[in-house]
Amino acid sequence: MTKAGSNLEKVLQAREFAVTAELGPPKSADPEVVRRKAGILKGHADAFNVTDGQTAVARMASWAACLIEQEEGLEPIVQMTCRDRNRIALQMDVLGVSALGIRNILCLTGDYVSFGNHPGAKPVYDIDSIQFVKIVKDMRDGGRFQCGEKMDVKPRLFIGAAANPFAEPFDYRPHRLAKKIEAGADFIQTQMVFNVGKFKEYMKRVGDLGLLDDVYVLAGVGPIRSVGAARYMASKVPGMDVPDEYIRRMRDAKDSREEGINICVEIIKQIQEIPGVSGIHIMSIEWEEAVPIIAQRAGLLPRPDIQ
Amino acid sequence: MIGQTQKPIEEILEYLENKEKIVVYGCGGCATTFHTGGEPEVEEMAKVLSENGKEVLAAIALPFGKVACYAPMSKARLRRYHEEIEECDAILVLSCGDGLQVVREIVDEEFDHPKPIYPGTNPIGQMGGGPTLFKEKCQQCGECELGRLAGICPLTQCPKGFLNGPCGGTTKDGMCEVDPERKCAWVMIYERLEALGELNKLMEIREPKDWSKMERPRQIEVAPLSLA
Repeated sequence: MTKAGSNLEKVLQAREFAVTAELGPPKSADPEVVRRKAGILKGHADAFNVTDGQTAVARMASWAACLIEQEEGLEPIVQMTCRDRNRIALQMDVLGVSALGIRNILCLTGDYVSFGNHPGAKPVYDIDSIQFVKIVKDMRDGGRFQCGEKMDVKPRLFIGAAANPFAEPFDYRPHRLAKKIEAGADFIQTQMVFNVGKFKEYMKRVGDLGLLDDVYVLAGVGPIRSVGAARYMASKVPGMDVPDEYIRRMRDAKDSREEGINICVEIIKQIQEIPGVSGIHIMSIEWEEAVPIIAQRAGLLPRPDIQ
Repeated sequence: MIGQTQKPIEEILEYLENKEKIVVYGCGGCATTFHTGGEPEVEEMAKVLSENGKEVLAAIALPFGKVACYAPMSKARLRRYHEEIEECDAILVLSCGDGLQVVREIVDEEFDHPKPIYPGTNPIGQMGGGPTLFKEKCQQCGECELGRLAGICPLTQCPKGFLNGPCGGTTKDGMCEVDPERKCAWVMIYERLEALGELNKLMEIREPKDWSKMERPRQIEVAPLSLA
């Protein structure tokens, strides 16, 4: 029995090590950008997230780029943030994406407006990501809107949420994950993992809380492009933990892109050893070409074909 | 209190263009605390206006403790200046927007013709603290959540206004990603609940908030205060 019948859900149910990848939509109305990226990514993951105004920058809507992905034969994961929509708009979009055949959703809070290109925008945050997950679950399983009213046809969505195992307070993070699971998250995609030891400790605590029977955790990974990017992620991206070892390796590498891919593949292999991890989520951030290489070298291809 | 800063004098003079006779009215509450409309500021404003060719008919500064936003206090004071207000071309109010609008209502009620009325300050939020540093702590949401949150309001002190714990952007040293100079409200809540032995309060899911209690404009009727 599936909840939404998405390919991602089936892969996870079959206990295959799942792979998802991220596609960043363009800062324009050009569908060809999405098609080109979809062409690069196709066949190298089980489902493909489309970011929703990532870092609060106005871009093509996630749901729209998801439709283009779908036309290109990829299974989309629509991302939806609480930053730009209140509970009315979110529920409208949930119904809309389901009607359009999208079967996976990632419910997010959303990066704060001051990080983006419209810092004067009024942030919404009517609800938070945990409340949003619960609303989608109540819509899907109960056929109920947040206000309690019923709907005829329920949305069919495999519900995802994000987690950052590295942000403070570290001791609280497994409990926050528990709340997301209680709210109704079927799968979790984490912040990029570089500090594997710390992630392992986090997963142990998650396991000790008895949470792993109820959710699939996909560990976030991504290739570092340059030593500058490594330093930036280590110091400027909140809640990101990049050990010095990787900064040194990126600095000393002859071919930094190659080294970034090597590190990513190493991390994936280490993550695969951690109990309770159901897959990985590759965030290549405007470097889609790296995804097929990483998937290949990490031994994740071909992707399973589950009927 | 209502935090506030003084408007640039250029903006004030722009409002008062072609107005010759001015009444300046300051507040003995927040505007005194924030140095935007206490006695010294009212006096200084009167001087600056005179230097700019205005005739200041009255420079009224409510004494500390008498607030412009409390209608009985403003009404009693303004009645003493009935003639000056009758004669003036404009009233400049050095208080928050509540104070100005209460004064406007009184003047509209007491005089036959509407009087032009202008602000001299920019209110920047309700805040507590002092005597030097003030911080926004409460947004008067209509349904206080502090009892579950160790006495720290994340609706106001977290830019995203969460009720279910910290976002993923808390920095390594527990600061807020939006302003790394400021401690994450949820780290503060966590630490305080931990010290109080009440961390279990963070485990339950808080339902979406009923924002209809903030539907504007809000109003309330109470029994009048007896001021001896």
